[in-house]
Amino acid sequence: MNSPTVPVIAVESISKWYGSVVAVNDVSLGIEPGVTGLLGPNGAGKTTLLKMIEGLAAPSDGTVTIFGETPRNNPALHRRVGVMSEHEAVYGFQTGRQFVEWSAKLHGVTAVAEATARAIERVGLVDAQNRPLGTYSRGMRQRMRLAATIVHEPEAIILDEPLNGTDPRQRIEFHDLMRHLADEGRTILISSHILEEVETLADRILLMVSGKLAASGDYRAIRAKLDEQPYNVRIVSSDPRRLAAALVALDSIASVSLGAENDVVVLSTNVAMLQRSLSRIAKDHNLRLERVEPLDDSLESVFSYIVEG
Amino acid sequence: MTEIFTLSLRQLLGRWRVLVILLLAAMPTLLILLIRALGEAELAFEGEVIDLIIDGMVIGGILPIVTMTLATAAFGNELEDKTLYYLVLKPVSRVSIVLAKLLATLVVAVPLVVASGVVASALVGAETQTLGTLALALAASVTTYASIFTLAGLLTPRALAYGLVYVLVWEGLLSTIVSGVRYLSVRGYTLALLHGLDEESFAAFEQRVIEFPAAIVGTGVVIVAFFLLALYRLRTMDVP
Repeated sequence: MNSPTVPVIAVESISKWYGSVVAVNDVSLGIEPGVTGLLGPNGAGKTTLLKMIEGLAAPSDGTVTIFGETPRNNPALHRRVGVMSEHEAVYGFQTGRQFVEWSAKLHGVTAVAEATARAIERVGLVDAQNRPLGTYSRGMRQRMRLAATIVHEPEAIILDEPLNGTDPRQRIEFHDLMRHLADEGRTILISSHILEEVETLADRILLMVSGKLAASGDYRAIRAKLDEQPYNVRIVSSDPRRLAAALVALDSIASVSLGAENDVVVLSTNVAMLQRSLSRIAKDHNLRLERVEPLDDSLESVFSYIVEG
Repeated sequence: MTEIFTLSLRQLLGRWRVLVILLLAAMPTLLILLIRALGEAELAFEGEVIDLIIDGMVIGGILPIVTMTLATAAFGNELEDKTLYYLVLKPVSRVSIVLAKLLATLVVAVPLVVASGVVASALVGAETQTLGTLALALAASVTTYASIFTLAGLLTPRALAYGLVYVLVWEGLLSTIVSGVRYLSVRGYTLALLHGLDEESFAAFEQRVIEFPAAIVGTGVVIVAFFLLALYRLRTMDVP
């Protein structure tokens, strides 16, 4: 594996434009071993950036290297890299096993049968491996594509929206697999437009907005920064009026309003404090909390907060 | 390269495509059998029969259309389904990818087109040596068109439509009525190859063929040039 002091994936002042449309604008970043999450709303430029990193698209400006080599038209480099695109298409006439085997052979794997069996087992699709891919559910297809992506034991793995179509149980298994691969010293870059998907997985996140890198760093530090912004939180309880009265007394609450369905909507200036206080209030007032959910924790609102400072 | 070749072959042999090209390839034979069944005329491998069946139907229509249908799909399918990245992100050279796609097209198109021309010619009494010449020239012609249409499939999702216009207007119409166009026409090369290899059997083409060496050079240049252009396109394009 590469030295941790040298980024495995190094992006220098990269831009991509199509005519007058700028898809990626002067992005620089370095990605090291571990799991890195590339977050951004749809249309932020994540996929375009990944395509340039993978070598599928030529940058209009700037440079990309993986393991110190340019990925564009560099077939030999792909022995060390595994890529799973956002496009979920597969060759429907192949069985899952044939698809992974095919990928292993093209990657120059020597023990194809063993590598295929190991990759399919890792994604938990042993029972379905002999069925045509055309009969798979979306989540199964994603997992078999993942098996084909890692069958040659790549040192760097790039996954574009890999959790599309997967159910919660599959997501947990995916997280476990990614953590395991990262613990082996691999460099994993995962894109997503859903904050929660990478929250527990990524060691580091990169936030993209409108083609630019808006923020990067440790997830918890960025999350803490996000927690300082005012949030609307909806709370469903057994007695909304008593809950509202108790919440008004908190310093971190800017406003409280009663909803139509036993719910209270509060504007909190400190979500972390609200979270800690809620359980105490429920206990003290003998309330049953049925649901607590942020109303504006969308990626867009998070990004606008970060971008606007 | 074997893996890409077999995959491409499987892609080309799927769907409705096979049925259409089989029907097309069988047309000359079916036409001859129909004429015989109706007892309208005694057919022989000469004059109008060569003009109509070999040039008009096979070289002017079936050959380019069958080859175009397959060759444009070789990369066209991958681009349409967005699966091309599976190929280009493997440690496989671009030359191997283009070559595998081209060979997959040829493995299907050459036997079909050659059978289409040779079986029909045999039915009307063409000699064995003539059939050999015909098979060779048709195979060369299929390879030339395959090289052109493989590039077309990489350039545009409408390759089939543009290809049809090219086949009908350039190869079908202009190469027939404008003599200079024959130097830049696959059909012109094919007729000249047939005539150059067997002047006696293909004397029907005498008045409208270019020089034999020009046809050999033209065929070779087109095959190599379009192969290299496809290679260049695959290296420089942004893969979806």
